[in-house]
Amino acid sequence: MNKIRNCLAAALVAAMPGAASASCDAGEGEVNVITNFFETLELLAEVMEECETDGLNIDVKLTTSHKEEREQAFAASTSPYDASAVANSSITLLQAKGQLMRLNDLVDKYRDEYQIEDQMLIRFGDDISAIAFMANAQHFFYRKDIFEKHGLEIPQTYDDLLAAAEVLEGEESVDYPFGAAFGGSGGWELANEFVNLLLANGGALFDPMTSEAAFDSPEGLEALEMMGTLMNHMSPNALAIDFGGVKQQLQQSEVAMAILWGDQAATMDKEGESTVIGMVDFAQAPAMVAGGPPATTFWWDGYVIPKNLDGDPETAFKVIMHAVRPEVVEANNDVTLWIRSNYQPTKYTKAITDSVMANAPPYPMNPQSALAHGAIGNNIGDFLAGKESAAQSLADAAADYRAAAIDEGLISN
Amino acid sequence: MKTRSFIAFVAPSVATMLLLIALPLVGIIYLSFHQSFVRTELKEVTTEVPIFGTLTKKQTLTIPQPVLDEDGNAVTVWEYVGGRNIRNAADLDGLATMVSRVSQSDRTEGWLTAIYREFTNYDFWGALEFTLLYTFCTTPAILVVGLALALAINNVTKRLRGTLVFATLLPMIVTPIVSSLAIFWMFLDNGVVTAILEHLGLGRFYFLASQTATRTLIVLYGVWFAAPFAFIILYAGLQTLPRDPLESAMIDGANSWQRLRYVIIPHLSPLMTVIAMIHIMDAYRVFEPILVFNSTVYANSVQYLTYFVLAFEDNIHKAAAYSVLTIIGVIILLIPVLRQSFREHRTAG
Repeated sequence: MNKIRNCLAAALVAAMPGAASASCDAGEGEVNVITNFFETLELLAEVMEECETDGLNIDVKLTTSHKEEREQAFAASTSPYDASAVANSSITLLQAKGQLMRLNDLVDKYRDEYQIEDQMLIRFGDDISAIAFMANAQHFFYRKDIFEKHGLEIPQTYDDLLAAAEVLEGEESVDYPFGAAFGGSGGWELANEFVNLLLANGGALFDPMTSEAAFDSPEGLEALEMMGTLMNHMSPNALAIDFGGVKQQLQQSEVAMAILWGDQAATMDKEGESTVIGMVDFAQAPAMVAGGPPATTFWWDGYVIPKNLDGDPETAFKVIMHAVRPEVVEANNDVTLWIRSNYQPTKYTKAITDSVMANAPPYPMNPQSALAHGAIGNNIGDFLAGKESAAQSLADAAADYRAAAIDEGLISN
Repeated sequence: MKTRSFIAFVAPSVATMLLLIALPLVGIIYLSFHQSFVRTELKEVTTEVPIFGTLTKKQTLTIPQPVLDEDGNAVTVWEYVGGRNIRNAADLDGLATMVSRVSQSDRTEGWLTAIYREFTNYDFWGALEFTLLYTFCTTPAILVVGLALALAINNVTKRLRGTLVFATLLPMIVTPIVSSLAIFWMFLDNGVVTAILEHLGLGRFYFLASQTATRTLIVLYGVWFAAPFAFIILYAGLQTLPRDPLESAMIDGANSWQRLRYVIIPHLSPLMTVIAMIHIMDAYRVFEPILVFNSTVYANSVQYLTYFVLAFEDNIHKAAAYSVLTIIGVIILLIPVLRQSFREHRTAG
């Protein structure tokens, strides 16, 4: 099977003019990679496997439970994985524990060969800790046909969005005006919506000097209460519907507007998946306060190599760089918002760049954020389900965060 | 049998049990009494992240950074914390002050309601509530459904039995995570079941929008998933049912209900004890539907908490504490069943 695949890949490469540099020649041994599971990572995994030769075995494991496995692997004496894909949030705990290999020497050595560009390098101080390949942000998706029908403008703030939702309650062609990922495993997506609103409302997750929780604040309360109001315009099942579910709601004409990840914009026009082809348009996320930044954070996705890998770091590095070389970006321009400079922006990624230009902050790259994010996701559902007050939910989340931060040695008791 | 040959015979299984059961158990308990983390200190760090094109954004943040030893390796703290993890996992400190907090606060609701709300608001106790509910609802239900299926299939013609047995076993064959997903999608907005109910003019149902509905759905899933297990064992038991007592009962004028009650069920009861025992252990570890239904707000489980703590708090020690609590829970639940099984053995012997 692998042989057939290699032959096919070789034939494809031979057929592509100018793709001569596709020969990988990464070395010998074994490279095991663990990553999350979405379209871009799937594509990159396929490209990595091109590097497979008789002397080099490449195995990319794509799983949504990458986080649990990676944390255990990187903390062990030797990691079975030689590389992993991470993002703003998931890199923080690994970095704070000193588990990531410093990539500076490898970058210097191979900068020319792989045309490594500065903006791909994720730096903590002087250390290059990750090689980023794509950017992403959540933003506003809406049905332009329905908006035109009701004479609605693109909402600039969440209050505008609520006003539009009121109008759209009367729209027959959709079931609910609005959709956002309030469900999903571990409450992560729910907490992410909260973080978007909290930061845009001038709040913070924690105090950087003491690491104590700061989201249990008036700004946090307003953000959470806004989520409660939004629930009135969403499916009553919203707490069980994750990001993939919301995407379907929009594709199947069940909702008229949604907050979704920007890299999924092109799927709104995907034959066989969407019933609303050409009817969905995109805009930057609404703001929490008029004139303020859009309520979203921007993210990067990239690869890291652990210090405790059992293979050769140079081989792992070359396999990664082979996957994110300029030719791959060129051949797959529309898949995502690539970070390389040869990427050509499309209408599907404009809303991401608009959000960022309007001062959307990067998702905070501190390990405290990851812990606070988890605690928030585990608690605010109680308020949205009507079980307790918003203040109580946030107080519970703050207490959970504190306990977790003490256990991680970030707050001394 | 000579003692030596007896030892030679059981040694492999004892060794396997020690290695695969006792050792991990001891490991879990050991982990739960310790805590470990990488020692960090707050440092100003300038991070640089890509935006798009060639733009990057620099941010100077105060970030905890690892403290390094002479060799440049991060220093890991490993300390004995006694019962702290179990105390945190079960929220014992909060529980201790719960009664005084409830009596001091201004309440619009009754005293018991307030206690219940406070109690189930703690992760562990809220999860325990549904875990027990799930265990106690599904255990009798799978026995009844399993027996009904076994009797029904035992009464159809021999030619159909093979096919029917296979079809009945399907829910058990499918991986739980996959079958949970299938059920979840059927009951979601515009899922098969929801859509059919709406077409029939029964209105729109939201199966995942309330505590009662979500819990009922998960319990029904549990019955659907585990009943085949009870069925196949009871069906096998029915094949060993001797004809004589049944025929004597018929001659004595027993109707079919009496034959079931006084002949068949007593014959199957040791098997029922075994089923109850195994299912209680399984049910107490309910995990897949909780994860797939995204139902933790309405229905959580102790096993799910273990996963959550491991995945989102990155804390293997507290996760181990939840495992210890799970084991304690299973043992407590099994005591009455084990006693029953013991008694049956003695009367049989």
